[in-house]
Amino acid sequence: MQLQNIATVIRSKNAGPCLVTFDLMFKDTDDFLRAKKAVSHIRSEVARLYGKSENEVRVIDYAPSNAVKITIPRDIVSGNPGDTDVYGAQQHSLLLEIEI
Amino acid sequence: MSAIQRLIEDFEKNGRRPLRVLGASGQLGYGIPTPALEEGLTRKPDMIGCDMGSIDIGPNYLGAGKMAPTRVGAKRDLRKVLRAARQLDIPLIIGSAGSAGAKPHLDQTLEMIREIAAEDDLHFKLAYVPSDVPREVVRREIKAGRVMPMDSMPELTEEEVDASSQLVGQVGLEAFRRALETGADVVVTGRACDTGIFASIPAMLGFPLGIATHMAKIVECASLCCTPGGRDTILAELDDEGFNLESMSPKRAATPASVAAHSLYEQADPYDIREPAGRCDLRNAHYEALDARRTRVTGAVWQPADRITLKLEGARLVGYRALLLSATADPRFIARHAALLEEVKTVVRDLVCEDTAQDYDLFFRVYGVDGVRHWPTPPNPMPREAFIMGECLAPTPERAEEVVRTTKQYLLHHGFEGRLSTAGNLAFPFTPPEVVTGAAYRFNVFHLMQVDDMAAMFPVFTETF
Repeated sequence: MQLQNIATVIRSKNAGPCLVTFDLMFKDTDDFLRAKKAVSHIRSEVARLYGKSENEVRVIDYAPSNAVKITIPRDIVSGNPGDTDVYGAQQHSLLLEIEI
Repeated sequence: MSAIQRLIEDFEKNGRRPLRVLGASGQLGYGIPTPALEEGLTRKPDMIGCDMGSIDIGPNYLGAGKMAPTRVGAKRDLRKVLRAARQLDIPLIIGSAGSAGAKPHLDQTLEMIREIAAEDDLHFKLAYVPSDVPREVVRREIKAGRVMPMDSMPELTEEEVDASSQLVGQVGLEAFRRALETGADVVVTGRACDTGIFASIPAMLGFPLGIATHMAKIVECASLCCTPGGRDTILAELDDEGFNLESMSPKRAATPASVAAHSLYEQADPYDIREPAGRCDLRNAHYEALDARRTRVTGAVWQPADRITLKLEGARLVGYRALLLSATADPRFIARHAALLEEVKTVVRDLVCEDTAQDYDLFFRVYGVDGVRHWPTPPNPMPREAFIMGECLAPTPERAEEVVRTTKQYLLHHGFEGRLSTAGNLAFPFTPPEVVTGAAYRFNVFHLMQVDDMAAMFPVFTETF
């Protein structure tokens, strides 16, 4: 199933000017555990889609919110010449079709 | 007797009780909904706090010394919270003055406070803490190896320190505490850790630092931790074991899930709140519903750091910006736009750089195709319309304008093989389609510096109205 059909929230935002962080939230523990089991697959897909090495992709599962957090370096520091998304709030859509 | 002195005396005389903390605004200047603020004031709060800034808004505000909201909006919100705090005679604490917290931002904020005090005949003692970092200190600490880059920033150089138009440090809880200890009723700081706004009074009253910091991190965003999230005032009732959260808007509920989820927001690690003097560990945090709209939070643990670190933020001028706003609906142009835009860049360069080397950067963002990010593959099919934003960064505003005006003309009339639309490639929504936005900045300092004596670096100043 694609992430967009299982997650209730898929969002991106800066975590400081150098990082962009993605939050995947799930409606219940079952869906969360399914994503948690797929963490290494999600990590490699994020690395491939966003053009990063796997060791640049940090994944933390966060049970209090049934959430998985993924953080990667921004392609360009927020607001530097050539930036396209200063807040990093529109970088999430490559995640939508990841199969888990 | 000042508001803070009375609060401390109340705790000494009458024993410990829950502290009622009102988070009035997470972005002072963008509006504070009156009904929720008024409701909060009926709950007999012990203090009001407001965050006014962030680094997330980008380098321009810091670099240019300008506020993100309008002065009218900022003054309206300042008036609301100043009047509220003086009416109840409780401390008002404001962090990251004027959006980015450097001297021009703090000066503008203090000027508005002085105006309001005079206009509304308010009387109080003000303490403020500038957070500009002396350059010679940073240069010395670079030499001493006591400055470290954050995340993907390069090592800090003395050249970058000198080139910053503004250079601030995020002061922490201790700066707010020193300001309060002067007997101030109103405290305003330059750039600050948002937690210091709300955790400083709890620290002075002896509440556990882990719980107080966790509470501070949540209420600094007002009702953002609720469902639905929003900017309404929030009330936290802090005791020695935890805190209870309640939005002052009946439309918003602080649920265990919504409050826990707030730890994810704009943070790389949801279990960790980093402060100059330590970290707040949320691994054992517990969220429990008190009723449909209130949640109790317990379990955060404070871990002091071995050494105090100051987060430095600086921005430097990169040039002056001018834009071209235009669009296309020609399928042949859209199909070949990437090559055509490169051709036009060359045409423009040959025209405006006849006598000089290229002294500017010209970027195109083609919305509908790749304006928001560089996607792994292009859209298929290509869109019917595309918005083309040209951006020039040049050494002067005049040069930037010259480049985008020339670009407009040659992009409009650029010929290509198979072209049918020979009267023009672009639609302009209005003329002139060129806009000069002025000075442009980038973050050039985002580093941690070890500091031995925060008080010496960031002294407190007071004024009485």
